[in-house]
Amino acid sequence: MKVLVFIKRVVDYNVRVKVRPDGSGVDTDGVKMSINPFDEIALEEALRMREAGQADEVIVVSAGTSDCQQQLRTGLAMGADRAIQIDTDKPLQPLTAARAFQALVEQQQPGVVLLGKQAIDDDNNQTGQMLAALWGRPQATNAAKIELSGDTARVTREVDAGLEVLDIDLPAVITTDLRLNTPRFVKLPDIMKAKKKPLDVVALDGLVSDAGNDLKIGNWSPPPQRGKGIMVDDVAGLVTELKSRGLL
Amino acid sequence: MQTVDNQYFHQYLPGVEVRLDSASLETYGRDWTHLRAPAPSAVLFPRNTSQVQEIILRARQDGFALVPSGGRTGLSGGAVAADGEWVISLEKMRSLGTVNPTEACIQVEAGVITATLQQAASAAGLFYGVDFASAGSSQVGGNIATNAGGIRVLRYGLTREQVLGMTAVTGAGEVLELNHALIKNATGYDLRHLLIGSEGTLAIITAATLKLWPRPPLRDVMLLAVPDDQAIMALFASARQAMNLSAFEFFSQACVEHVCAHAGLPAPLESPTAFYALLEFDQLDETGLTEWFEQAMEAGWISDGLISQSDEQAKQMWAYRERISESIAARKPYKNDIAVRVSAVPALLAELDELVQQQYPDFEVLWYGHIGDGNLHLNVLKPDEMDLNAFKAQCEQVNELVFAVVQKHSGSISAEHGVGLLKQPWLAYSRSEAEIALMRALKQQFDPDGILNPGKLL
Ligand SMILES: Cc1cc2nc3c(=O)[nH]c(=O)nc-3n(C[C@H](O)[C@H](O)[C@H](O)COP(=O)(O)OP(=O)(O)OC[C@H]3O[C@@H](n4cnc5c(N)ncnc54)[C@H](O)[C@@H]3O)c2cc1C
Repeated sequence: MKVLVFIKRVVDYNVRVKVRPDGSGVDTDGVKMSINPFDEIALEEALRMREAGQADEVIVVSAGTSDCQQQLRTGLAMGADRAIQIDTDKPLQPLTAARAFQALVEQQQPGVVLLGKQAIDDDNNQTGQMLAALWGRPQATNAAKIELSGDTARVTREVDAGLEVLDIDLPAVITTDLRLNTPRFVKLPDIMKAKKKPLDVVALDGLVSDAGNDLKIGNWSPPPQRGKGIMVDDVAGLVTELKSRGLL
Repeated sequence: MQTVDNQYFHQYLPGVEVRLDSASLETYGRDWTHLRAPAPSAVLFPRNTSQVQEIILRARQDGFALVPSGGRTGLSGGAVAADGEWVISLEKMRSLGTVNPTEACIQVEAGVITATLQQAASAAGLFYGVDFASAGSSQVGGNIATNAGGIRVLRYGLTREQVLGMTAVTGAGEVLELNHALIKNATGYDLRHLLIGSEGTLAIITAATLKLWPRPPLRDVMLLAVPDDQAIMALFASARQAMNLSAFEFFSQACVEHVCAHAGLPAPLESPTAFYALLEFDQLDETGLTEWFEQAMEAGWISDGLISQSDEQAKQMWAYRERISESIAARKPYKNDIAVRVSAVPALLAELDELVQQQYPDFEVLWYGHIGDGNLHLNVLKPDEMDLNAFKAQCEQVNELVFAVVQKHSGSISAEHGVGLLKQPWLAYSRSEAEIALMRALKQQFDPDGILNPGKLL
C-alpha cells in the first residue's frame, strides 16, 4: 500500500510574524521556514505505518516554488521514499490545492492520504475535507490515533465531548491532530541519503486545467496594539472605572 | 543596636517599601542553593537610586549588613541572608528604557528580568547576547554582579562584554555613574569592570546600559554522539573552522537520562553514547555541512548526529542540555563549576575522571558544560538514603582534590557561578595571596564599614 502525505512550507511556528508595512502580506525575508507542524505529524505517522509493515511506500508531496524542495528534502531525510513537487509560484487556496491533490491521488492510487488538519499560516482547515469530497472517498479529520487493519482504518478523534471513534473504508483521507505522535529528528547521515532519493517536479497546470484562485486577499494588517493599562487605587476606583466604560 | 520594626523604617526610611513578615523573610533570604536557613531581619524594595543610597547610609549609621538581591537564581549562595541582614531586593526597579538604534544599546534598571531584556531587544530587531536556563527569573543586576555567562559566550562574550555603562551606589553611599555608555574612554581605571562580577560586595548596581547585537542569522542546531571525550577538542577545532558557532555544549549520557526521566522526553538517539555535543551555528549550505559531518565520522570523533529542521526542533534539542540542571535539582547535587583554558579540557577531564572514580565510587557523577569556553559543570548527586550534611561534608573533602587539579592547570574554581558563600573557603586555589590582599584593600575603599554582603567572596 502507498501512503501519500501532503506537506506545506510555512513560517516556523516559533517565529513572531510581522506584517509588511505596505500590508501586502507577512514578511518572510530572513525568516525560518519549516514543514507545517501538523503535516510533519502526518508524515511521521506514514513512516510508522511503513515501519510497522502496513505500508510499503511513503510519498511526500508539496505544492509551491522550488523553495519547498527544502521541506521535501527534510521529508526524504525523515524517511519518505520519494517526493513530488507541484510547481507553482501562486499561493494556493484550499480548493485549488485540493483539486491538484485529487489529480495526483488519482495518478498514484494510494491506500491512505495523510495531511495535517490545518496549516498554521492560514489556519483554513479545509484542504483535507475538500480532497476527500472531490475524490469521493471517506474522510476522518483531526486524528489523535490511527489503527489500520486490512481495508479499514479506525480513527480516534478528540472532540469536545470526549473521544470519537470512526471506522472508515480505505482508501481514505485522514487529517492529523497534534497529539497523534511526536515527529522524529532528522539524522545527519540521512540527509546525505536523501540526496539520492527521487524528487519529481510536476507543473500545477498539468494537474488542474484552471488553477485560478477565486479569492483575492485585499490587505493584511497586524492585530490592534493593546492600550496601556492604568493603575487604580482600590476596589471602589476599579468599579468606577469599569462603570465609566460601560463594562459593568 | 536598634530593633528594626515598622516604626523604625517608617521613621528613618520613609517611602521605602519594607516587608517584615516571615514568609517574605524566608523567600527573600535564600537563593537557588538553599545553602543556609534564611534569617534576614527585613526585606527592602527601593524604587530608585536615591532610595538605595538612603538605605545604605542608614545601614552604615546603624551598623546593619545588607544583602543585594536580584532574581535569587544564583548558584553560590551570594544572595543568601542568614544573619539578620537587610535584603535589598531590586525587583521593584524594573523600568526598561527604549532601544537606541543608533548606538545599538538599551538602558535598564537593575531589577529588569533577563528574559524581558531579551524580548525588548528582539522586538526592536536586535538581540541581547547573554542567555541561560534561568533567564526567565534572573535580573540584570544579578547578571552583572556575577558576570553571568551562559550558552552563547562563544559568540557574544560574558555579561562583562555587554555592559557599556552602569549606575551603582557604593558601600560608602557614593553614587557612581560609570563609563556613561561610552565606547572609547581611556581615562584610567575602569571601575565599571571592577563592579562586574563583584557579587554585591562593593556596590549595589541600580541601572546599566547594555550593548545589543544585530539580529542573528538563521541558525541550526546539531546534536552529535561523541564516543570518547578525548576527541572533543579535535571536534571543536574542526567545527569552529567549518561553521560560525554560537554554542558548543557538552554533556554525558547520564545527564540525558535524567532529562528524559524528568521531562518525559524520548531518547534523542536510537542508541546511547558516552557523550553528546550540541552545536548551534549560522545556517550552512547542505554540502558544506554534510562534508564536515562525513569527515568527523571518519575521524571517529562522532558516531551519529541529528540536525534541527525547524526552530521547534532546535528548541527540543536544546532541552536535552538546558533542562539538566532542573532535572537533578531534587537530588540536591553538589555542584562544581570549573574552567580551564580550552586546550586543557581533555587533560582536565581525564584527571578528574580518575579522581572521581577513586573518591566517589558510590556517588553518581554528572558532567556537562559550556565546553567551548573551557567550562565544565561537575555535579555529584546525593544518594537518596544519605544524610544531606554527611553528603556535603564528604563532597567538601573531595573538593580540595578537585581544586588542586584545577589549580595545576591554572584554572578557575568558579567559572561563572561566582564565589559567594559556597566557594569562599577555596578562593586561594584560583587567586594568589597578593591578589586577595588587593581585593581586600579595594573592598575597604568601596565599603569601609563592610556592610555589603559580609562573609561572601572574601
Ligand atoms: C537552572 C539554572 C541555570 C543557570 N545557568 C547559568 C549559566 O549558564 N551561566 C551563568 O553564568 N549562570 C547560570 N546560573 C546562575 C544564575 O542564574 C546567574 O548567576 C544569574 O546571573 C544570577 O542572577 P540573579 O538576578 O538571580 O542574582 P541573585 O542570585 O539574586 O544574586 C547573585 C549575586 O549577585 C548579587 N546581586 C544581585 N543583584 C545585585 C545588584 N543589583 N547589585 C549588586 N549585587 C547584586 C547578590 O548579592 C549575589 O551575590 C544558572 C542558575 C540556574 C538556577
